Amino acid sequence: MIKRRIIFLTTVLCAAGSLPLLVSPLPAQQPSDRAHQIGGKFMCMCGCNQVLSQCNHVGCTVSTSMLKEVDQALARGDSEDAITQAFVQEFGTKVYAEPPHSGFSLVAWSMPAVYLAVGLGLVLFVISRWRKRPAQAVSVAANNSGISPEMLERGRLRAARETQD
Amino acid sequence: MDVFGSFALLLAFVCAVYAFVGGIAAIRTRHPLLVKSTRQAGLATCGLIFLATLSLEYLFFSDNFSVAYVVAHSNRSLSPFYKVAALWSGQEGSLLFWSFLLAVYVFSALLAYRNKNGELMPYVGVVLAGVQIFFLTLNNFVASPFKALGVAGTNGAMDLVARGDGNGLNPLLQYPEMVIHPPNLYSGYTGFTIPFAFALGALLARYPGEKWIHLTRKWTMIAWGFQTAGILLGAHWAYAVLGWGGYWAWDPVENASLLPWLTGTAFLHSVMMQEKRGMMKVWNVWLVFCTFLLCILGTFLTRSGVVSSVHAFASSNIGNWFVGFIAIILLVCLTAYFKNRDYLKSENQLDSIVSRESSFLFNNLILLVSCVAVLSGTLFPVFSEWFTGDRISVGTPFFNKVNIPIGLLLLFLTGVGPLLAWRKTSLDSLKRNFGWPLLMGLVAGAIAFPLGVREFYSLICLILCVFVASTITMEFYRGAKVIRSRSGASFLASAVDLTMRNTRRYGGYIVHMGMVLIFIGIAGTAFNRDVQKEMQIGSSMQIGPYSLLLQNFDTKQEKNYTAERMIIEVTRNNKPVMMLYPERRIFPANQASGTMVAIYSTLKQDLYVVYAGQSPDTQAPVIHVYLNPLVKCIWFGGVVVVLGTLVALLPNRRAVLVLSAVQEPTGVKSLAGTLTPSPTLREGHD
Repeated sequence: MIKRRIIFLTTVLCAAGSLPLLVSPLPAQQPSDRAHQIGGKFMCMCGCNQVLSQCNHVGCTVSTSMLKEVDQALARGDSEDAITQAFVQEFGTKVYAEPPHSGFSLVAWSMPAVYLAVGLGLVLFVISRWRKRPAQAVSVAANNSGISPEMLERGRLRAARETQD
Repeated sequence: MDVFGSFALLLAFVCAVYAFVGGIAAIRTRHPLLVKSTRQAGLATCGLIFLATLSLEYLFFSDNFSVAYVVAHSNRSLSPFYKVAALWSGQEGSLLFWSFLLAVYVFSALLAYRNKNGELMPYVGVVLAGVQIFFLTLNNFVASPFKALGVAGTNGAMDLVARGDGNGLNPLLQYPEMVIHPPNLYSGYTGFTIPFAFALGALLARYPGEKWIHLTRKWTMIAWGFQTAGILLGAHWAYAVLGWGGYWAWDPVENASLLPWLTGTAFLHSVMMQEKRGMMKVWNVWLVFCTFLLCILGTFLTRSGVVSSVHAFASSNIGNWFVGFIAIILLVCLTAYFKNRDYLKSENQLDSIVSRESSFLFNNLILLVSCVAVLSGTLFPVFSEWFTGDRISVGTPFFNKVNIPIGLLLLFLTGVGPLLAWRKTSLDSLKRNFGWPLLMGLVAGAIAFPLGVREFYSLICLILCVFVASTITMEFYRGAKVIRSRSGASFLASAVDLTMRNTRRYGGYIVHMGMVLIFIGIAGTAFNRDVQKEMQIGSSMQIGPYSLLLQNFDTKQEKNYTAERMIIEVTRNNKPVMMLYPERRIFPANQASGTMVAIYSTLKQDLYVVYAGQSPDTQAPVIHVYLNPLVKCIWFGGVVVVLGTLVALLPNRRAVLVLSAVQEPTGVKSLAGTLTPSPTLREGHD
């Protein structure tokens, strides 16, 4: 029995160990050039709905010229903020690949956390209600709602009868 | 044939209206003839939609260029394979295709239950007819695929004309997966109509119990399976055709397909609470309602032009129809719920917070949070424009940041949930069930970290994947061990036997295992890398262990397109690996162009080569190469998920009578010898 467990554990550990081996020969993400990196923060304005540095439409002149603009700005010594401002002025806020962390856009960033908090609160509330409910609560609740357990059972039997497979 | 198709659609509309109105009358009067005739009208509606769809396909195959839709989406040299796919390549045809698939489901449901569920089916029939009326209204009066091609005449009236050839199919759609991806996805979307109709029908009929869930479980799983397959096929299509090196870009249309999948997944889990404990009845009904509404919302997003997407159909005012339909459905659902909610009271209390029930609640919470987060992110550009006047884009980086932690939490629950007992889980049971898997996960992390897996989310993902895979493996191992000890069969045969005894449970585990593989593939994304280079003939480039040599390029003339083809030799450590031929295709019919990626795929990684066109400055070919680790796990995981779904759809192996030798009571003589059948029930359990 112990031997089997050892064999099983060894097999699983070997399998587990081989997973990172599949990945490990690759080093962490290679450094890309600065323009490519900054391009990851903007959308391509050709209408493809892709991030600028990923736009690969054959012959897409928009992404080429936008990346060239980034390159030129970097050559001038412009900061990332200045490049962002220039793009926003040129294309509007739709150029952002993700909403900025300021103003109305904060709503986009905060909403998932709000959903999680509200959902968690709701789940905990439901759990606490379910836990507090005594076993006979159903009949009481049913009585309050005008449907007695007998009616519920009759309904269930009717459903079973009417939907017999 | 276009007149025939139009007429069939119009007749189908009339039949659907009769099925709807007559159905309501049948519910009120309970007149058997009326019940029967409305069911027949429902079947006739479906038959007529089949005929209309066949007519449109016939128009494509007969190159009838007097029909506007055929002109816009086909041409003479288009292969028959893609003439089939041309049906759903545009707004009008895809809406007809939607009606067609819905008709297949409706026809099957009406036929399957023609002599059963006598009281419930009229309600279900009315709901189904209502949905069909909406889509047939669009097919007939808003976006007819049978419109004749017309040009403005001299007196202002439209003159009918016929063109010699059509514009051809969108090049992006001329790929084998485009023939199977949309049917799968649409089958998922339309398939959720059946559980929706049964849920609403049961609520309207005031059925208190779980009957509708029993009746629709398989329909829901079929729809979910199609939706899953459709999403994964779409991801593979994006990967193999769009040529940006990835498979999921959080495009609004992709998100639209994910939303009902998330709520559908939540439903498939929470439904067990109702079956086992009589709990979460309200929740389940609303999950089905929401799943159906999200299917319609997704269609609205794709077709209204309200959000910009590379996959979207041309924007039109059709969106208003969808908004109206969503509003009506919501109103009907709310009315039915508030009128009959007393029949949806929970029947049990929660015994412990550490229980299967709690894990389902948290599982649903996470899935729903993910769904709402994706929905609000998708619609945020619209909201921002309403509130501030500026349209703020929400792209991949946002969705990744929000959804990766949620996905990991869900992965954790995938491992935890199935091992918790119903009602209450003891500390001993927790230790017994989670000890080894947790240890294995941590050991995997400890091995991976020094080997270079340092990216936080990838490391956590790896630990969780090993943890979940271990819990599933242990579940199979324990069950199969018991069977083997009794039957003496091999371990594999025992595992198969175990699965077949409770297909739903073990099929579910197989689905979970598939999801683990998909997560492993996604974790590999953190290690993607790419290189882009202008290349001359004879020049080479290096990425990872591979060396790519541009040997030559040529032009390939095909029936429907001309391809500029790069001939690239791939070597590894100076040993030839294979030849790759990335292409750029030009389609003369519509003057459009597209890429055809070349991929050398191994279990470990994909070498993904794109011919990105010619450099505008030097006219030299530009080659973009990506090295994407573990991508194959995603596609393999997808196959495992679909396989698991199919297993879960199989009926459980029937209870078996096991013959065993029993002691004869003294003084009683057996006529059949010494063996007496002892009915031992061998059944699975949840």
